[in-house]
Amino acid sequence: MLELSGVGKSFGKNEILRDVNLKVAAGDVIAILGPSGSGKTTLLRCINFLEIADQGTMVLEDRTIQLPRAKKSEVAFVRQKTSFVFQNYNLFNNKTALENVTEGLIYGRKIPAKTAKEIGRKALEKVGMADRSDFYPSQLSGGQQQRVGIARAIAGNPDVILFDEPTSALDPELIGEVLSIMKKLAQEGTTMIVVTHEMSFAQSVATKAIFMDGGVILEEGEPHEFFVRPRHERTKQFLRSILYEMEYTI
Amino acid sequence: MFRYRPEVAWVYLFKLLPYLKVTLFYMAGALAIGIVFGAGLAMMKLGKNRPLRYFAVGYTAVMRSLPPIILIFLIYHGVPLLARRLWQVNISGLDTVYFVILALGLSSVATLSEIMKSAYLSVSGGQYEAAVSNGFTPFQAFRRIMFPQALRVSIPNLGNALVILMKEGSLGYTVGLIDIMGRANLLNSTAYGNDIYEIFFTLAAIYWLASVLIDRSFRFLENKLSLERRIRLKEAGLIAANPQGGITREP
Ligand SMILES: Nc1ncnc2c1ncn2[C@@H]1O[C@H](COP(=O)(O)OP(=O)(O)OP(=O)(O)O)[C@@H](O)[C@H]1O
Ligand SMILES: [Mg+2]
Repeated sequence: MLELSGVGKSFGKNEILRDVNLKVAAGDVIAILGPSGSGKTTLLRCINFLEIADQGTMVLEDRTIQLPRAKKSEVAFVRQKTSFVFQNYNLFNNKTALENVTEGLIYGRKIPAKTAKEIGRKALEKVGMADRSDFYPSQLSGGQQQRVGIARAIAGNPDVILFDEPTSALDPELIGEVLSIMKKLAQEGTTMIVVTHEMSFAQSVATKAIFMDGGVILEEGEPHEFFVRPRHERTKQFLRSILYEMEYTI
Repeated sequence: MFRYRPEVAWVYLFKLLPYLKVTLFYMAGALAIGIVFGAGLAMMKLGKNRPLRYFAVGYTAVMRSLPPIILIFLIYHGVPLLARRLWQVNISGLDTVYFVILALGLSSVATLSEIMKSAYLSVSGGQYEAAVSNGFTPFQAFRRIMFPQALRVSIPNLGNALVILMKEGSLGYTVGLIDIMGRANLLNSTAYGNDIYEIFFTLAAIYWLASVLIDRSFRFLENKLSLERRIRLKEAGLIAANPQGGITREP
């Protein structure tokens, strides 16, 4: 459904992504792991054209798109078929929770306001925020804001949802409410690419785990294999450090 | 010796007040120039085009350092000269107020561009990205998400800028502008300096009152556009819909 091949991206002299290939089938939940600075965010941003890749091709549904030379209509197409959940929510602060969900439908997808509202209500209901639909982001906790962020992402019924460390800005006690929603989405067959440091989430929900380091995909595999028997030394090290950190914080 | 006669000041008040029109006129003119071109300059500062950015930053730096009186002199004496040289047109007959507007406008372009730029930057860029990622065009993202928030942030500074504009314009009397300042100056000469306190205290009071009015109206505007007010209104609506009082339960 979504296929990336040969994606490369540099900022100035720094090569951040190098020949990244990724195949996503409908219903996949792909967890991307990797140390800080390994290019995980950049990869997601390139998929959504928040960053323009220097090389690479994307196949999405029946279209083949050259990432560095995407036309406006292609960018619009990709953004219609994918959506982004940001690390720090990025809700529209001057809009209510409901408007945060509906505005993109109304202005981006030209859905009539009334229909958009219905869709928006349903999306908020799904993330347990229906009773907060008239609240502004400043009136919501971080976890609630991120749930609105997820509602905004699912409302347009995209092919793939891109999550960039959706829980890493949250207080520990709020992480669970967001993860459980993501888990529910996964169980319903939503296709997701999730950059995360939540190992238990990756282990229990993902259908595929990917380890990135230095801008390349070093290792990928079934979560079961990946976590139990990582092949690469770097992956081992990384998993060990994360587990150590987790024990340490507990 | 200090002598102040309220009844004389009262008479001067009514001699000065009609000229407030001129003061308001140059303020409006300069503000209009400042908003239109200041927006352009702010876009250059925020944009990627390096020559344009340098130009905008340089222009602002020069304007910031320039005493307004120099600008007024340069424009008032320089522009007619230039017009004659370049296009053989004689514009020295043009009302002085237009030269003052141009001079103040040029400097408020710089001031307002700074206000607009910092207001824009105060709105987190992530919201813009979220908007375009949601399918907004860049213009829609600006118009619906960034602009309303930036406007709200910039209002107090706009009020300040307008008060400064009003005061800087009083220098127009040096090139013969008859606004309230110019008029006060004339009245003072006519009275051979005998009514100096009655005239200039009255004048000061008018400026003071005008700046208070500007402050008040900008504060009103700020409140009108504030998120807090919208939240209060929404909450009032919610409470009306749910007489038990509790807004909603925790999910
Ligand atoms: N706009 C940019 N300009 C220059 N360098 C950038 C830019 N964005 C990212 N980088 C650099 O690219 C590298 C990869 O960044 P990226 O955000 O993709 O890493 P990440 O894997 O998401 O890390 P983290 O786990 O810390 O979020 C970093 O070294 C970062 O400094
Ligand atoms: Mg990141």
